[in-house]
Amino acid sequence: MSEAAAQTETGVVDRFVGEHHHDDRIDVDTEISSAQALGLLWRCLGLLSRAKALFAAKFALQTGTLFFQLFMPWIAKIVIDNVILQKPIGETDVPYPPFMQPITTFLDGMTPLEIMFALAMGYLAALILIGFRAGELEVGLFGSTLTGQDETAAAENKISGSYSESSGLWGLAEYAVGVRLSQRLTNELRTRLFQRLTRLPMAVLAEKRTGDSLYRVLYDTASIPWAALDPTLSLGTTILTGMVNMYLIQYSYEATAPQLVWLAWATLPLVFAVTFPASKLMRRINQTKRSAGSATTNAMEETVGSIDAVQSLGGMRAEAQKFATRSLESYFRERVALVVGLLLFVGAAVAVIAIALWVVMIVTDGIIEGSMSPGDFGVLFGMFFGIVFVPIEIGSFWLNLQTKLAPARRIFFFIDYESDDDHTGTAVARISQGVDIEQVDYVYPDGRTALADVSLSMRLGETVAIVGPSGAGKTTLGYLIPGFLTPTGGRVLIDGHDLATLDIDAVRSHIAYVFQEHLLLAESIRENLLLANGDATEPEMLDALDLAGCTPFVREMPDGIDTPLGLSGNTLSVGQQQRLCIARGLVRNTSVLILDEPTSALDPETEQSLFDAMDRIAKDRLLVVIAHRLSTIRRADRIAFLDDGVLVETGSHDELMQRDDGAYRRFVELQSLDAGTSRV
Amino acid sequence: MTGTDTLADLPPIRARRILQLALKCWPFIRPLIKHLLFLLGASALVSLALFALGLLGTDMFNNKILVGDKLQPLQAQLLFVDESFVLDDIAGNVNERELLTESQRKTVRTRTMIWGAGLLLVFAPIVAGLLYYNIWIWQMINQNLRVAMINKAEHLSLKYHSQSRVGDAIFRIYQDSATITSLIQETFIGPAAALYNIVLALAFLCFFDPRIALAAVLAVVPMILLTARATGLLRERALANRVAFSNLTSRLQEIMIALRIVKANKGEGRVLERFDKDSHRALDAAFTLRMTIAVLEVAVTAIAALVTIGAEYVIIYWVLGERETFLGAAAVTVIGFAVWNLGAFEDARERLGGALFGATGLVGSWARLQDLFIGLERAFYLLELEADIVDPDQPVDFPTPVESVTWKDVHFAYDPALPVLQGVDLVAESGTITAIVGGSGAGKSTLVSLLLRLYDPDRGQVLINGTGLRMLRIDDIRESAAIALQRNVLFAGTVADNIGYAARSPSRADIEAAARVACADGFIRELENGYDTELGERGGKLSSGQRQRLSLARAIVRNTPILILDEPTAALDAQTELEVMRNLRQWGTDKVVFLITHRIGTIRDADQIVFLEHGQPVEVGDHESLLRADGRYRRFAEAAAGEALGV
Repeated sequence: MSEAAAQTETGVVDRFVGEHHHDDRIDVDTEISSAQALGLLWRCLGLLSRAKALFAAKFALQTGTLFFQLFMPWIAKIVIDNVILQKPIGETDVPYPPFMQPITTFLDGMTPLEIMFALAMGYLAALILIGFRAGELEVGLFGSTLTGQDETAAAENKISGSYSESSGLWGLAEYAVGVRLSQRLTNELRTRLFQRLTRLPMAVLAEKRTGDSLYRVLYDTASIPWAALDPTLSLGTTILTGMVNMYLIQYSYEATAPQLVWLAWATLPLVFAVTFPASKLMRRINQTKRSAGSATTNAMEETVGSIDAVQSLGGMRAEAQKFATRSLESYFRERVALVVGLLLFVGAAVAVIAIALWVVMIVTDGIIEGSMSPGDFGVLFGMFFGIVFVPIEIGSFWLNLQTKLAPARRIFFFIDYESDDDHTGTAVARISQGVDIEQVDYVYPDGRTALADVSLSMRLGETVAIVGPSGAGKTTLGYLIPGFLTPTGGRVLIDGHDLATLDIDAVRSHIAYVFQEHLLLAESIRENLLLANGDATEPEMLDALDLAGCTPFVREMPDGIDTPLGLSGNTLSVGQQQRLCIARGLVRNTSVLILDEPTSALDPETEQSLFDAMDRIAKDRLLVVIAHRLSTIRRADRIAFLDDGVLVETGSHDELMQRDDGAYRRFVELQSLDAGTSRV
Repeated sequence: MTGTDTLADLPPIRARRILQLALKCWPFIRPLIKHLLFLLGASALVSLALFALGLLGTDMFNNKILVGDKLQPLQAQLLFVDESFVLDDIAGNVNERELLTESQRKTVRTRTMIWGAGLLLVFAPIVAGLLYYNIWIWQMINQNLRVAMINKAEHLSLKYHSQSRVGDAIFRIYQDSATITSLIQETFIGPAAALYNIVLALAFLCFFDPRIALAAVLAVVPMILLTARATGLLRERALANRVAFSNLTSRLQEIMIALRIVKANKGEGRVLERFDKDSHRALDAAFTLRMTIAVLEVAVTAIAALVTIGAEYVIIYWVLGERETFLGAAAVTVIGFAVWNLGAFEDARERLGGALFGATGLVGSWARLQDLFIGLERAFYLLELEADIVDPDQPVDFPTPVESVTWKDVHFAYDPALPVLQGVDLVAESGTITAIVGGSGAGKSTLVSLLLRLYDPDRGQVLINGTGLRMLRIDDIRESAAIALQRNVLFAGTVADNIGYAARSPSRADIEAAARVACADGFIRELENGYDTELGERGGKLSSGQRQRLSLARAIVRNTPILILDEPTAALDAQTELEVMRNLRQWGTDKVVFLITHRIGTIRDADQIVFLEHGQPVEVGDHESLLRADGRYRRFAEAAAGEALGV
């Protein structure tokens, strides 16, 4: 209903704001309400507890800078009034604040030039300590953020971004602490996100796009430290500045310009009125911008990742076109976000400028009438804006926060996502009996049934072949054993215990699964094996390689098992990759070994030699082989024949072949009929 | 294999190199050059106007409103006030101050502010417009660049791709293409704008006193010396930073692709540990680089601040002595800066600051440039890589109809130490099916890759109808040959998109017909949305047999004269396989079909069987004749058949 209503409302505005999920399949509900925004903010703030000392140091240094800055307008006033205009100190009705008293006492009675000399000496000392006159310190790489780069390029600058309002030694220290602070926070978060991503359930991984994960870990996380630091550090000092200035204005100018005090307060609701209604719009626009960015990454990642397919199918032009379109869209979204931000800023600025003009009128009136001196203009104007900036900061903070909450939501979505870590329970020390599948159903989220009422009992020391036509649910059944998938009905028992009540990590440490696709890391063969079993010794590795029939080609490689492999093992033939993957499964030396179509890319001779070794492999183990090659199947102790998600028959090859109209027999006869004529 | 090797031999940064790189950027800038020139011209004008207005404003505000001096004639005209506001004897005794009355000052104040508000209304939209325009221009330049890079990446031969990490490419296209636009700005436009402003500031300073301008110019000398000393260090650290970040990206990319393996092998902890280590390394490198820049900037700004403090003291000395400015009487009709006064002090100080901090800004740019240049070298590394497989200068039209495909004494190796093909001679005729058989790693897939010119042979050639492939356009070749890959790559999109991926605007009927040949129609119709079902990354929702059939359909729908099936049926069960092969035979009567397979059932029906071993076709012939020959093939067939029958 609401969806239909929303569709009819689609107009110019919506096209401008955009649809925010450009290319995502899991994380599709991207709207953030204000309550959720506060919740996210709170979680970002929670991050600060991971860097307490750094945060305290940065806060202290920043407050110190603030203190030094208090002197600046008053000293400028002395230069104008008492040096240039040569008035005696303390001539006007405006009293100096208490912290200036020692300085004015010291300067009292000096000639203007003497005062200037004393001040110049003070400047020099301050130059070294806080870089007086040297301005603030901020180092950004890759140019400014306005130079036509997008979120991804700006991320590096945010991660290691810092600033100091002072320069000199103090500024350097503050800057260094600041960089470390934002780095620490980013690292905390991205490591945590990374860890959660690796712990996503297997079913989710199939849906998850690599480019998107990359974007979240590397780029989205960059915004979060600032979501935590802006409301604390920046806003904290702004409010502190505002309070100090409010006090000073009252102390020094209440007598001469009382209107200024309430005028300063009046800006507060005004700025809020402009910024808050706009926050929802800003949020949506930024969501759109981000997902457009990650769609671009996806387009590129997919092209480059499957370059062999793209080239051999002649899809280069189409892929480049797709990338170009998405990239253009992403740039457009960047500009929309910028323009909207700019317009909102202008809205707030107009209000502030109007007030500023009024302030100028009041102050110049005072100066012209003689109740204030020309030097007071700079002091008052500075202090007034010190106060006005509080609501502006708060308002723009709230707006900026929207841009940071979009990535925060994208990050926390996956940190909160159901993960294997939630699957805790009794830890099993070993698997000693076997695995039972009890009346298991599995239905995909889209409603297709993959398995229906499958029961199968498998013991250690057994070799079980899961057989059936393609699409019968063989892999799904295999995935249930290590808990890669959770059955939608029925139970999986490990040594008689329900898998749902066991610690999933402990269970998996006893089960090795070799996938159909052969994925190797672009590192050495040794690293690939160590990934599976970090404790494997050299002889164990060589033994596993030997069992899987890798020895001949590994020996031919320039550095043996230390030879680095190219991207996804590209430098090896598919058969060689497959054998390495099998070796990787073997090196773990687990009680249960599942081979999913282990030999589909092997030639019959290699396959035969591999299976000759299988007897050795299968000893004291449960070996589950998913296959439809007869040569593989008939060696199994027991065959489970699946068809269309239903377990049709179980038994040994000979038993099943004796059933006259058995499904397995028909299946075998088809293959034999085909191969039989090839016999001489 | 990582970024380190490719970066190790970076050429040193010289002026010529910079120019050369700038020229390389030209093709991407050219489409936007008109916009860029217009932007620059407009910005220069606006900047000049703001400078002049600033001078006038400072005088008005400080000397006239705050202090109460009388107006210059021009100022009176602008404010529409009468003679009584104007200095009587403008050229006369400047030391004798005439002051405005209180009400006159208020009039001047109010009218000045109306002017100020009016100018703000005029200039604010102009500046905002220029800002947006600027961003748009640079985004478009960046877009040209990114697209050129991904095009290049796609046209490189697979040899390159097998050696470089995907993550590196991603880093390049994103981070580095953005740095190119930044670089043009920072090397040319930024400094040009800064210099323009510095020169303007110095010129205005000269009006007050040329010696102050000279002091500002001299202050630049130690700044340059300091910067020159720091440059080497900066460059080194910028490089380290880039490499560290690139490695982190690659690591992440790789792990994300192989996440299922990581999980299946319980490698999460190990992988996390490495990621954390890489992450820290990247952060440390970023910290070191930034601190180096920060220290340099602090040192340089300290020099600028020192000169400012000295100059201020001198100016104050002059103000107190009411010394005549260099401008002197010449200024009197326009602004009240004939002698040093409050307004002159404020304005001169501001200009001096503008000149000095403009110079320190340039030092900052230089520091960042060290980083940018590294990005640029990396970006151009990719752009400069000549596609090793290129179209001939004068291509011959693709011969139609295709009658034969010939390999003539073909040698090929990915790595010179490990030859893959060693003198292959082979002919395949139209209307026949050629099966290529052999042990894994025998070079079967490589052999057909050469036919698509994914690689070029090291020696010998591949010919179509007697015309060498190198004489033909690559696009023509790849348009005339369809391949179903061993690795079943699926693209994001619907089932129909995937099947029609490489075909020229196929109709739905074409797609369905191809799916039927590949025996995919049945299961597709059972999917949630049939042909419009969305597939996840790498086709996660489908079984591998189903994916394989989609790959097959994708090759079939293109209806090309040459069809290559690389292990087309490995993941299919026997029944489906048989059906697919039967369909293919009916469908491919006028085509050259190649079949790479291990399955004896698939091979048997081929018109010609090629048995590859050690990079050479050791036996060629049909099934029967090869069995009679009683050689390698026979042994192979027996092994396969023996298993199948359970003998």
